[in-house]
Amino acid sequence: MPEISAHAIVEPTAEVADDVTIGPFCYVGPRVSIGPGCRIANNVTLLGRTSLGQRTEVFPMSVIGAAPPGAGEADGQCLLGEANAVREHVTIYAGAEGPTRIGNHNLFMIASQIGPGAQIGDHGIFDNCTKIGAAAAIEDYVRMSGFAAVDDGARVGAYSFVAAYAGVQNDAPPYAMLQGFPVRVRGLNTRNLKACGFGEQDIHALKAAFRELFNGRGAEVKRDALDRIARDAGANPYVRRLTDALRAAAERATAGDGQDD
Amino acid sequence: MTDLSVLREIDPAARIAPDATVGLYSVIGPDVIIGPGTAVGRRVTIVGHTHLGSGNVIGEGCVLGAAPQDLKYAGGPTMLRIGHRNRFGREVTAHIGTESGGALTRIGDDNVLMDGCHVAHDCFVDDRAYLGRSVLLAGHIRVQTGARIEDLSGLHHFVTVGRFSLVGPHTPVRRDVPPFTDFRSFDHDWESPPSVCGVHEAGIAAARLPREQEKELRFALKELFDDESALQTKIEQLVNMGVEGEAARLCEFCLRSLQGLYGRCREVYRGKAPPEARRLSPEAGIDTKEHYDEL
Repeated sequence: MPEISAHAIVEPTAEVADDVTIGPFCYVGPRVSIGPGCRIANNVTLLGRTSLGQRTEVFPMSVIGAAPPGAGEADGQCLLGEANAVREHVTIYAGAEGPTRIGNHNLFMIASQIGPGAQIGDHGIFDNCTKIGAAAAIEDYVRMSGFAAVDDGARVGAYSFVAAYAGVQNDAPPYAMLQGFPVRVRGLNTRNLKACGFGEQDIHALKAAFRELFNGRGAEVKRDALDRIARDAGANPYVRRLTDALRAAAERATAGDGQDD
Repeated sequence: MTDLSVLREIDPAARIAPDATVGLYSVIGPDVIIGPGTAVGRRVTIVGHTHLGSGNVIGEGCVLGAAPQDLKYAGGPTMLRIGHRNRFGREVTAHIGTESGGALTRIGDDNVLMDGCHVAHDCFVDDRAYLGRSVLLAGHIRVQTGARIEDLSGLHHFVTVGRFSLVGPHTPVRRDVPPFTDFRSFDHDWESPPSVCGVHEAGIAAARLPREQEKELRFALKELFDDESALQTKIEQLVNMGVEGEAARLCEFCLRSLQGLYGRCREVYRGKAPPEARRLSPEAGIDTKEHYDEL
């Protein structure tokens, strides 16, 4: 039997696994499902069609599955994978069109906000007061520092680090240190790559590619260097992934320009 | 009438002074001590080994004593100690310490923490400090007496904010803030990091220094920060001149910051307990029962 506080309100149609604990003053909506081993602290609100994977930890005062402001009733979908930690005062909005999808092993620190329809990968760390916009995409192993923000529909590539107070407005490349507003590529996120077990050779190849592609000041990509590296058939697979991401970003940017006109 | 008095979840093991109040929908854990005259607002969560002194006001939605947001934390019984007469706004969060960082987070007396502030694991906030809205203190930070940190500033791990200094609004602080200075950024670009841009007049007034000391301090501040180049040489010159009191303390502070990694003197405590924790931690001989009486 799940351990539910006498002061919690859990709607009878909610699906709650056997070894779940739910603290006092929580509200669990009628279409919520909570996987095994989840620990829900006190004063937590779970709304809409939220599903929590196993071993999710939710800390006091958080709201998951809320409708975005002005969107009426909470009926969107919000899917969390396994072993995520949702700290105090976090808000995760449910998607209005598609579901908000969150992978596994992420840490959402205090007062971070995840917008409706955001797609978040695995092993991300989102520091206090970070904001992920609506339908933004965050790939795996991304780390965001305090007050950093990702605009609606923007994308942050895998293994990147977004520095404090930075604002990502468009597509940011993978493996990068991103800083400032508008965001700039400051260099390769060597520390994270080493921590994630990248080999010395891969890091060296990526560093060389970064030196050719970015001038160290702006977010501007050198087009001729990108074309040259992308044409190189024997390129490192990680460098290939970087160039693919940069080309996709360029395509998305030009397509977006067309729509605006 | 509905009996609202039951809508609180207070663990019977918690020790709450008879005249302390706890608001509706609040949750108090078993290892919590709340001193006399402390008013805890609605929807407040106080868990972990958290001790509050007397006369504190805790605003709505605060969460005190939750586990640190540090991946190194192994779940040990570390502490959060809050002194007397502090005022917390709404949704303030403060965490207990980590085992490797000294196992103690400490907030002193007469501090004001505005809405949305966060005091992370192993921080030491001394007395009479002001933290504006949504100020984020990362782990292992020391905020010294009388410091004022304006809204939306974020402080890096291991930073020290000096006595009676001012951190401007929306400032990313990555190095130590010298005492009695006005530290701010005018541009949030990474190419122009925030810096000392003057003297914090209100801080000097609040410190109530003797006239001679104030004069000497102003002289030292002008010498050091009119142009921050060759700081070490200038500190040595001032020390050789034989400055005393606050000016000497300022020189010592700046010298320690210069010698620390990335301009942060507390970096040396990475992975070990700082002297403050050794002095104040329960292992140093403060019995919880005695501590309760002392409150």
